[in-house]
Amino acid sequence: MAYQIGLYLIYGIAAQGIGFLWGKTGVLPLGQALFFGIAAYVTAITLRAEGNLFLNLALAAIVLAVIAGFAFVLAALVFRGRNESGPYFSLITLALVMIAEQVAGTATSLTGGFNGMSGFNSLGNLDPFGGFYYVIVAATVAVSLFLFILNRLPVNLIAKAVLDNEPRMQLLGFPTHMIKGAAFAFSAMIAALAGGLFASHQGIVTPTSTGFALSAELVILTAVGGRFHVLGPLIGAVIVGWASTELRDSFPYWELLMAVVFILVVLKAPGGISELFEAAFRRVRPKTPTSAAPAVTAPETRFDKTPRPLRFEDVRLKIGVVRILNAVSFDTPATGIISVIGPNGAGKTSALNTITGNLSVTGGRIMLGEVRIDSRPPHTALSNGIGRKLQVPSVFFSLSVSENLAIAMMAGRLRMSDLFKPSTFQWRSKSLSDVLGHPSVPLKEEMTDPVEYLPQGHRQFLEYAMTVAAEPSILLLDEPCAGLSPDETALMTKLVQSYQSETSRLVIVIEHDMSIVEAISDKVLVLHLGKVLAFDDYDKVRQNPQVQAVYSGGTK
Amino acid sequence: MSSVLLLNLAWQISTLALVALGLAIVFGKLRIMNMAHGEFVMIGAYAPVITSMLGLPGWLQLPVCLVTVGPVAFVLERTIIRHLYGRMFDSLLATWGIAILLREIVELIFGRGYQSVSPPIAGTVCVFGADYPAYRIAVIIGILLGFIGLYWWNTRSKTGTRIKAMVGNPNLAEAIGINTARLSAGAFVFGCCTAGLAGLILAPTVRIEPMMGLDYLIRSFFALVVGGLGSLEGLGIGSGIIAGTQTFLGAVASQTYGYLAVLTLSILFLWLKPNGVRSSSR
Amino acid sequence: MMKKTATLLSSVVLTMALGTMSVSADTKIGVLVPDSGPAGLFGPSTRNSAVLAAKQINANGGINGEQIELVFADVGVPPAEAAQAALRLWKGQGAEAFVGMHDSAVREALIGRFNGEVPYVYTPVYEGNSCADGLYITGETPSQQLEPVIPFLAEKEGVSKWYLIGHDYNWPRDTNALAKGFIADAGGEVVGEEYVPFTVGEFDSSLQRIKESGADAVLVTLVGGGSVGFNVSFAGFGLDDQAIRLGTLIEENTLAGIGADNANRLYSSSGYFSSIETDAAASFAADYSAAFGSDAPALNGLGQSAYEGLMLLAALTNKAGSLDVAAMDAAAEGTTWSTPRGDNTLMGRHMAQTIYLADGSGGAFNVVASFDNVPSSEACSN
Repeated sequence: MAYQIGLYLIYGIAAQGIGFLWGKTGVLPLGQALFFGIAAYVTAITLRAEGNLFLNLALAAIVLAVIAGFAFVLAALVFRGRNESGPYFSLITLALVMIAEQVAGTATSLTGGFNGMSGFNSLGNLDPFGGFYYVIVAATVAVSLFLFILNRLPVNLIAKAVLDNEPRMQLLGFPTHMIKGAAFAFSAMIAALAGGLFASHQGIVTPTSTGFALSAELVILTAVGGRFHVLGPLIGAVIVGWASTELRDSFPYWELLMAVVFILVVLKAPGGISELFEAAFRRVRPKTPTSAAPAVTAPETRFDKTPRPLRFEDVRLKIGVVRILNAVSFDTPATGIISVIGPNGAGKTSALNTITGNLSVTGGRIMLGEVRIDSRPPHTALSNGIGRKLQVPSVFFSLSVSENLAIAMMAGRLRMSDLFKPSTFQWRSKSLSDVLGHPSVPLKEEMTDPVEYLPQGHRQFLEYAMTVAAEPSILLLDEPCAGLSPDETALMTKLVQSYQSETSRLVIVIEHDMSIVEAISDKVLVLHLGKVLAFDDYDKVRQNPQVQAVYSGGTK
Repeated sequence: MSSVLLLNLAWQISTLALVALGLAIVFGKLRIMNMAHGEFVMIGAYAPVITSMLGLPGWLQLPVCLVTVGPVAFVLERTIIRHLYGRMFDSLLATWGIAILLREIVELIFGRGYQSVSPPIAGTVCVFGADYPAYRIAVIIGILLGFIGLYWWNTRSKTGTRIKAMVGNPNLAEAIGINTARLSAGAFVFGCCTAGLAGLILAPTVRIEPMMGLDYLIRSFFALVVGGLGSLEGLGIGSGIIAGTQTFLGAVASQTYGYLAVLTLSILFLWLKPNGVRSSSR
Repeated sequence: MMKKTATLLSSVVLTMALGTMSVSADTKIGVLVPDSGPAGLFGPSTRNSAVLAAKQINANGGINGEQIELVFADVGVPPAEAAQAALRLWKGQGAEAFVGMHDSAVREALIGRFNGEVPYVYTPVYEGNSCADGLYITGETPSQQLEPVIPFLAEKEGVSKWYLIGHDYNWPRDTNALAKGFIADAGGEVVGEEYVPFTVGEFDSSLQRIKESGADAVLVTLVGGGSVGFNVSFAGFGLDDQAIRLGTLIEENTLAGIGADNANRLYSSSGYFSSIETDAAASFAADYSAAFGSDAPALNGLGQSAYEGLMLLAALTNKAGSLDVAAMDAAAEGTTWSTPRGDNTLMGRHMAQTIYLADGSGGAFNVVASFDNVPSSEACSN
């Protein structure tokens, strides 16, 4: 019965690639048959030329590398400068596959046109339903095993974190467009592998193999089978393939039935069949929590940690017609705690956004020591030593506390090889241990809890811990005490002060509460209407008549 | 440039804008990637088939069109689409299923065969020295007037803003007294009805069969993303670029080059200008 | 894990396949019909024609003394899935011969899969140039449809300036390559040639070019919905006054979609029309409506071709005395048999047949000429 299942397994492999990309990073490829088809055509051309097996396999490796390179560059270029996965990329892949299908149909001399390219034996002259069937099964097992292993490695966590909160990943120094590019390249390689198997198995390649319909079908198989599980797409391919061949000839309304089932899966079981299987399985054998592995001292972060002053030189920022920053200039010391105050709309958060590159300045420049840092992509901020905590806690809500911290520990430290080492999960730095080890910090009892159920205050501490984990040389904190109880506020101030005193680095805090400002500040920067009103120590700022005019209402 | 080419451009651009209008509301405002959009065009195109099957007079085509498309859209919105707001890729998948469902149902009722519809205005007229089908001239003028009216209404009405508010923050919109269920259902049904209307108008000039919807879907999507979601000007510009490129290159080079150029152009716009030439948000 | 699932599933499939395998001694013939996809329109009439053929073959004693039983598979799907469906019939259900009505890509996939081990009759209109062991072809080839027809139209309608338009794939390109020769032989000239992608649904610029070319005849090799769209717009622009149209794949359903208003001076060349008035054709049509009712799917050249294919299979098998490919290949040349199309002869594995030219003006085909025993220019050797 090999002729029944072989084709479904091939589609299943391609769908596993889609499942990896879509389920983990949230990027939905609508043109995966592009890679499937190109590989199939190249395989067909090679097999017709009847080279030897070794040469064929060497060529296959080259083709896979070229396809991966193309896919990586495409996705990295499209996603560069963005922090979401919108429909744009999906539509680009759709247009690409439509071009490929048209070219394959028109370039008759190269591809055989609509009638396809045929008349070749399978790889190594194996029987497509005998020996070659076992090649397909072996490939399926190999791809599945590889995906299972990836699931247990840091790359998996990084991919999930990209899906969960891309802006945060960028502030942690991860170039998310490259990560998505790599994930897309990986899925493209899997699709290409499946395409090569397909050509060898089928003995014919036609434009439908690189077409829109096949691309859509692969997505459907992935969705029905379940994109969050390694075997989901495979299960989808086998079940849907088997059901449709069985029903196609016996049940005239099978397409209607498939449509209804498909809609129901999307609405009621977004995780697909595999999620239902897994839920049933978990009822019989609940997941046993794994005990935490011992911590490993993390390697040093890889950015310059010498204290450097931050200098704004005539910085201007305009969005549309609104002038947010209007010739802001100041020069901080290299260490200490600077508080930024000012009424709402003064441009405090925008100023931090220009430092991290979330906003590009429209005039002037920002210098860190001798390095110009403005208008760079946010993911490069950390490599200049800039760490940032946002106003509304920005953490990975679908992940657990320990997973959040593991990601944060990788920030600024990760090398390519660490991506594939499980020990990376256990990294701990002194700054993080200091926060977690503090008796009043609540996080250590909640390590396995999903962050979405954490109270607001705990999220603030989590994000703070994640920000200092990388031991940034400049720590930017945007209202770290917002939403905290008085006790928690006191704790947060103490944590910030001890971080600064232990590392003698620069901390910039936006704060409204004047008592906190008074307690922690070495200097205070007052912004008003996008301009610097004063920049001095607390007492001088307090006596400044202009500041008093702005704050005529009181201390808050 | 010959006058026929100009008229062809006018025809292609205006009909694409009409077809894409419904999608501009459903995708641009509600953020539902409606893969079943073409199927509503298809159902609309069957309206004249229904009237002639039942022996009804021709002026009933429009009511029949709205009475078939409207309830179908309403039922789908209440049962399926309303679960999909804020889930863009899920909406793409579910509406793909809906598209198959609608095709199959139409096939069960009318069969797979081609239907033919006669235009209400036959013959050609001479415009700028070119013989051009009179029906097409009437449709071009009609669409132009329709869009002018729509533009006028859009600048005065608050409905667009309310929809935007609803999609941006449904809870807040609900809190300030917007009936989100009614508004979203209304917008979806309105979008689908304009698609049906486009089908009705195009019916005498195209093939009519259950699979015809796919022709309109992808072009509409590209027109929208190229022009920019969420504004009527964007819709017009996008339709102009997509249909204009196809028609112009189809005339001076070949249809295949026109088709490939449209796809290439779409990729470039999606890459370099993902928010379109015009965009209301951002 | 995966291998386990695979084995498990395949054993399920095996049990099901064995369960459905019948024990009768009938010869099973696999009939491959397009139930889904763009050609799905022709599925029902193809099935009916095949059923009617089987009934008549069995009434006349079957093939080699055995009754035949038809097993169907949907091949209106991409080649990989279609080949798989055919394999199910062959390996799973024990079909011993195949008759197929599907596109050329599927045919190429099937030739590879069958590998000359099982007889296979391919029945629809096609571009020619396909030879394989055990492959017999009843469909009209471009030379059959055009060689007699182009001179006839040049004479009858006085046309000489031809414009060639087709979808951008093998069949139209191959057809037009041959057509150019026939047009030149008839003293005409080609004033334009173009190919349109399947995905383009509008023909305005093509129509403009046709108008400017001054063509008085257009050879249409667009298929299905594209053909309908083209012909509707063609008449809409009033080009039907300027030029006649000749289609080699415009059958009854396509004409219905084009509509009576738009079919003025639209000719179609085919081996079969439901309106052929010979006795054989009339009695076939009567049998068809008796068997499937008066509102059965309309007869057309593509659907009816399955009948031709089964009749050829019966005639050839009876002549060869077995369903063995080598024996059938040896016996193939010169096999003759009669069908609603007329008297047919197998020459070079292709069917020499009567070609009809019909005028679709008024929305129904009216046969204006017939050409007996037109050979294909194809010659597959044994």
